[in-house]
Amino acid sequence: MLEQTGIPEASDINGVFPSDERLAKGPVAVIECFQRIPCNPCSTACRRGAIEAFDDINDLPKVNHEKCNGCSLCVSRCPGLAIMVVDMTYAEDKALLKLPYEFAPLPEEGSSVTALNRAGEAVGEALVVKVQNTPALDKTPLVSIAVAKDLARTVRNFRVTDDTSAESPGILRGDEAPSPMVCRCNDLDLDNIRDLMKKGFTSIDEIKRVSRLGMGPCQGRNCIPLVLGELSRFLGKPVSELDPGTYRPVVKSVSLGAVAEYDGEALTE
Amino acid sequence: MNKTADIVIIGGGVSGCSIGYYLLKNGAKNVVILERDYLSAGATGRCGAGIRQQWGLELNCRMSKFSCEFFENAVSELEFDGDVEFHQGGYLLLISAEAELEQMKKNIALQNSLGIASRLITLDEAKEIVPYLNTDNLLAAAFHQKDGHLNPFHTTQAFAEAFKRLGGVIETRTAVTGVTVSNGRITGVETDKGTIQTGTVVNAAGGYAQGIAKMAGVELPLYSERHNILVTEPVEPLLAPMVMSFSLNLYCQQSPHGSFVMGRTDDSQPRDLRVSAYSGFPELMSRSVTGLMPPLKNLRMLRQWAGLYNMSPDKAAIYCEAPNVSGFYTAAGFSGHGFMMAPATGQSMTELILGLTPTLPWPKMGLDRFETGELLLEPSVV
Ligand SMILES: Cc1cc2nc3c(=O)[nH]c(=O)nc-3n(C[C@H](O)[C@H](O)[C@H](O)COP(=O)(O)OP(=O)(O)OC[C@H]3O[C@@H](n4cnc5c(N)ncnc54)[C@H](O)[C@@H]3O)c2cc1C
Ligand code: SF4
Ligand code: SF4
Repeated sequence: MLEQTGIPEASDINGVFPSDERLAKGPVAVIECFQRIPCNPCSTACRRGAIEAFDDINDLPKVNHEKCNGCSLCVSRCPGLAIMVVDMTYAEDKALLKLPYEFAPLPEEGSSVTALNRAGEAVGEALVVKVQNTPALDKTPLVSIAVAKDLARTVRNFRVTDDTSAESPGILRGDEAPSPMVCRCNDLDLDNIRDLMKKGFTSIDEIKRVSRLGMGPCQGRNCIPLVLGELSRFLGKPVSELDPGTYRPVVKSVSLGAVAEYDGEALTE
Repeated sequence: MNKTADIVIIGGGVSGCSIGYYLLKNGAKNVVILERDYLSAGATGRCGAGIRQQWGLELNCRMSKFSCEFFENAVSELEFDGDVEFHQGGYLLLISAEAELEQMKKNIALQNSLGIASRLITLDEAKEIVPYLNTDNLLAAAFHQKDGHLNPFHTTQAFAEAFKRLGGVIETRTAVTGVTVSNGRITGVETDKGTIQTGTVVNAAGGYAQGIAKMAGVELPLYSERHNILVTEPVEPLLAPMVMSFSLNLYCQQSPHGSFVMGRTDDSQPRDLRVSAYSGFPELMSRSVTGLMPPLKNLRMLRQWAGLYNMSPDKAAIYCEAPNVSGFYTAAGFSGHGFMMAPATGQSMTELILGLTPTLPWPKMGLDRFETGELLLEPSVV
């Protein structure tokens, strides 16, 4: 199940894919955003009004596939890399997938890469047709790959072939680049986290107490999954065996005034 | 894990770490701290972090003064390579009834006689310290500049690192499951990771101290009560002192990081070791705190949690060796103010265990007071 594995199943994917008629008309956005989270850049990115305005910041995006022309503006805006543009009219037997890709190295145009499914497993070959990495994309490069049409609903990423394939792809990072930010609320970067792990703070709750990780306005929604990944690599244990730390109320920050004025039913245990 | 130890301390909160440090500093050897989770996992990591010397009992004043002076120099004394964030913005104790005012005058006279420079201030003076304070239901306030708040995690870490530097051993994720006694003497401690032979056990298990004592066949007159607390988003410095009201039963401070931390005592809370967050708390808390400091209405709360107050019958700590089991010592029952007393706890327990001449009033804080009736009833607690 998606909730347990984090990997959408065929039914989840079919639920957000455009109709066959729409796919036959040309490029179109597919948004695989399955969890209600406080996030909305996609809804303001589209200039054609194809992504319905949100009533609540937690809403899931709804695409009006008829209005969408596949322009890809929204793709790099989504911080969750949840959007791709699919073009089933690209060639007789090939579909073109325009994917947001934040791994290093970027592939070469014209090269062949290993196509991956949503679980990260190799499922075939893909040809890199185009690589876009302009400043406007704000470090979320777009890579267009051509894949066999019958794989259009299966492929969602790729691995640059030949290289040190055993190693997992790293965060996009040049050697002299500053250490990537992990916790924006409290200004902690990857080096800070690694130092703490080396000092023996090897659980989320301990790192939290010593560094304030996860104590800021995001309450760990952004940083804790990243740190769980680091801990997993450091301890050599899968994330599923690690303690994700304690999540506590409130879910969304709320002003003390609003709470004080609450006059609904008395809350009980 | 060590198979033997001279002294085993149960509990890696601020008390256990402080006791460990003072023991080694005073010549003890082979001391092990056992902690079920990780350091500061108990009340220490959940507390309001307040440090004050404004007490109504002489012994509380002396214990807290000793501790506060320690905290002022903790970083160098413990050779800590971080900061314990001791912010001495004062404690502003709000007074709202005549009887409270009379008590406060007595307290202040006592405090002044012990070298604690607290004073009674007018509401206008209180408003100079907190300009947006709503003084409608208040009569006056007491203030002591050297009180304040301190980072519990870093303080505990500082004690723990100093303890280790002196040769102490800390085993985290090691839960004590039994305490063995033979002929009325401690012989060892059983854990989920193995057994340690020892003749001396120090029970510093906070809210779980009465349970640990039972393992050794010792009855302690303690119970644990859930206390709730919340934190807001960080904002610019707006509140220098810790504000406390005994009649509203609340305290509120702004941490150096900028978030406001506040808690409130509520008699309806469970006493069954539950530490889940109480959903009725934010409502009650925000009503009382925004009544007292209206601009706080605009602050957003981020998180609430709860921890255990380990309560003794007279709301003062118990420092003792069990009358029926020699070698079984307890430092518990802090009744909501054990964080600020941690250095005094370490010093007192060390004097008790190593048989040193008392420099602090701990001899009055044993179990026998509940037999003799010489209770230590502290008038000023939240
Ligand atoms: C909401 C709240 C606000 C507070 N505000 C203040 C304040 O402003 N100022 C102040 O001075 N005090 C305050 N206190 C009280 C203060 O937190 C405590 O008195 C103090 O932290 C006690 O420290 P401790 O080390 O004795 O206990 P704890 O910190 O509770 O440590 C006990 C440790 O023992 C461990 N343990 C338990 N059972 C076992 C076992 N079987 N085996 C191994 N380990 C075990 C626990 O995991 C825990 O880490 C507050 C408390 C709460 C709950
Ligand atoms: S691809 Fe372009 S038109 Fe389609 S939803 Fe995204 S921004 Fe709108
Ligand atoms: S921007 Fe991405 S993650 Fe955010 S709501 Fe839109 S699709 Fe979902």
